[in-house]
Amino acid sequence: MAEYPAHLAHEHRLFDGRTVTIRPIRPQDDLLERDFIDSGLSGENRYLRFQKWVAAPSDKLIHFLTDVDYERHMAFVCTVRHGEGEEIVGEARYVTNPDGKSCEFGIMIADAWHKSGIAGLLMDDLIRAARARGLESVEGIVLRNNATMLKFVRALGFEVHHVPEDPVNARVVKKL
Amino acid sequence: MHKIWLNSYPAGVPADIDPRAYASLCEMFERSCERFRARTAFTNMGVALSFGELERLSRDFGAYLQTVAGLRPGERVAIMLPNLLQYPVAMFGALRAGLVVVNVNPLYTAPELEQQLADSGATAIVVLENFAHTLERALAGTRVRRVITTQPGDLFPPVKRWLVNFAVKHVKRLVPRWRINGAVGLRAALARGARHELDRSKLVPDDIALLQYTGGTTGTPRGVILSHANMVANVEQTLAWSRTTLREGEETVVTALPLYHVFALTANLLLFIRLGGNNLLITNPRDLPAMIAELRRNRFTAMTGVNTLYRALLDADGFAQVCAANRGALKLAVAGGMAVQRSVSERWQQATGVPLVEGYGLTEASPNVCANPFDAKAFSGKLGVPLPSTEVVILDEHGDEVPPGETGEIGVRGPQVTRGYWNRPEDSAQAFAPGGWLRSGDIGRFDERGYLEFVDRKKDVIVVSGFKAYPTEIEDLVMRHPGVGDAAAIGVPDARSGEAVALFVVKKDPALTAEALREHCANSLAGYKRPVRIEFRDALPKNPLGKILRRRLRDEVVGADG
Repeated sequence: MAEYPAHLAHEHRLFDGRTVTIRPIRPQDDLLERDFIDSGLSGENRYLRFQKWVAAPSDKLIHFLTDVDYERHMAFVCTVRHGEGEEIVGEARYVTNPDGKSCEFGIMIADAWHKSGIAGLLMDDLIRAARARGLESVEGIVLRNNATMLKFVRALGFEVHHVPEDPVNARVVKKL
Repeated sequence: MHKIWLNSYPAGVPADIDPRAYASLCEMFERSCERFRARTAFTNMGVALSFGELERLSRDFGAYLQTVAGLRPGERVAIMLPNLLQYPVAMFGALRAGLVVVNVNPLYTAPELEQQLADSGATAIVVLENFAHTLERALAGTRVRRVITTQPGDLFPPVKRWLVNFAVKHVKRLVPRWRINGAVGLRAALARGARHELDRSKLVPDDIALLQYTGGTTGTPRGVILSHANMVANVEQTLAWSRTTLREGEETVVTALPLYHVFALTANLLLFIRLGGNNLLITNPRDLPAMIAELRRNRFTAMTGVNTLYRALLDADGFAQVCAANRGALKLAVAGGMAVQRSVSERWQQATGVPLVEGYGLTEASPNVCANPFDAKAFSGKLGVPLPSTEVVILDEHGDEVPPGETGEIGVRGPQVTRGYWNRPEDSAQAFAPGGWLRSGDIGRFDERGYLEFVDRKKDVIVVSGFKAYPTEIEDLVMRHPGVGDAAAIGVPDARSGEAVALFVVKKDPALTAEALREHCANSLAGYKRPVRIEFRDALPKNPLGKILRRRLRDEVVGADG
């Protein structure tokens, strides 16, 4: 079993005064992750992330999302404390492509946490981790309709490519 | 902006129209009824309804809705009717009473109907008895408190009425049993309305005329707000465009596309009322022999359709006789809603002598945006040029205009463009690019003469004979079946309907069959949304992050079919 990279966890104070924790995901996060996808995300947001209708995440999907090896597959979550409890309000991850040089990323932010700044924090950590692993680029598929996401990744230095054969999706790439 | 397309306008077509020619659709309607009182406005199964009769019947129905049903201006009235004489009576009755019309596809299933009624907040509905059993199951979650039912022959003269209504109910058995407390028959409603005065509400141009429902990417249909001003403008724009070809008081148009769809509503019903023409209503265009018989009995000068319909007519027995009987009469055949195949267009021109004239529009634009010249001598293969008082641009993904000749998203501005979606401020805001351009979701480019060409669609949507089906809605429904582990719906090419829905399913229950899934879909999805093919897979193609790769599914299907 891969060792949990605890040193990558840190707290962050948002501009609105709230404090969040950014940390790598853990297998024990399965219930929190399920709550996050089930109740934190609207149908529209689940559609934007998976590009299909996801009503309730399957056990297999939750396992895939939470049980990562921190090498080929890396994921960060952003959480907030509620007394003893913890809630996931955002996550970002990459999976290395077979070429070993590039990776695909994906990000989800709870509806109530849009525009809070956590998406940028998660991507900063994700990009830093990818760079540390020696990857050369971070890539992703974004629906062309998803103007918010395209604007967001452009601000992070991604290039947006339109593939003529695919009118629905754009390919976004950031060289590391 | 520089409207390069103006040089391609036919002689006599103005660059601009007066978008406020009438304060409302009612004013336009009443003016036509005055001018063309004795002329036939609608014909259905051999029965003619004059402008004068239509004026009286719609006034009676409006008075009923206001006085007896107690509806207040701005309330929503749903209309769930195929193309029958009752349709214009119900629609103009509601509009003249100051109400908002919500068109409903009569082939909707109960869940689809309930969703639309609930979202629009409709408090009354006019429904054909054949579909009352569906309404009965949909009423619970809605605010509908007035139900007006009608039988197909209700506006026919007595003997014909009894024959038609008897045949539909007892011979063809097309009316499943239903029971809705307090439902009123249309004939009774008209009789009661006739004893009251219609209080003509003072409508202003920005008042809402229609909530016209279209799907959304998350599967929930949204009501497009179309004001009286939007609709009046689009009729005037289409009228100005038609001046090369159509004459007041002389035309008969074949109305086979459903009037609950905004294309036929504007291009047939409203335009030909404005022109004092006759709408030849085809109630069920799927019954080709009946449609052919109807076309043989009536001379017609214009027609609208989608590729699927023109193709079906060309292949139908007896169409040559229709052409022979109608020789010299047909002036115009307009095609919209879906891509037109060149082969269909060529065969049509050979058979009838007129080319298929393609147009482009979307519900959010009432719907007409572009058209080819109506006096064109041949099929162009392009969407046409923007109508008078319409601006069209090609946008890049930032919402900026691209250089001439480049490809991008088609953006539209003009008096016919909606102000947004009913009760959905976020969707409404996202529908527009900076500068107020309506984002069409279609990819296109302009040629050097200002003709718009269609390239592809940007949205994840399947267009079946001009109707839009969203994969998410189908997937949501299919995944509620307990035997389904995962599902993806895509559009595949279909010779008849242009595109059709194909469904890929990963089983949870190994005993799951395609038949069980078909039945599950038939209970909740209108026909055009149902999958024509179902394939089982061990897994769906996804990228490493779990995003579905629809493109790969599509390539597999298309590749396998050669």
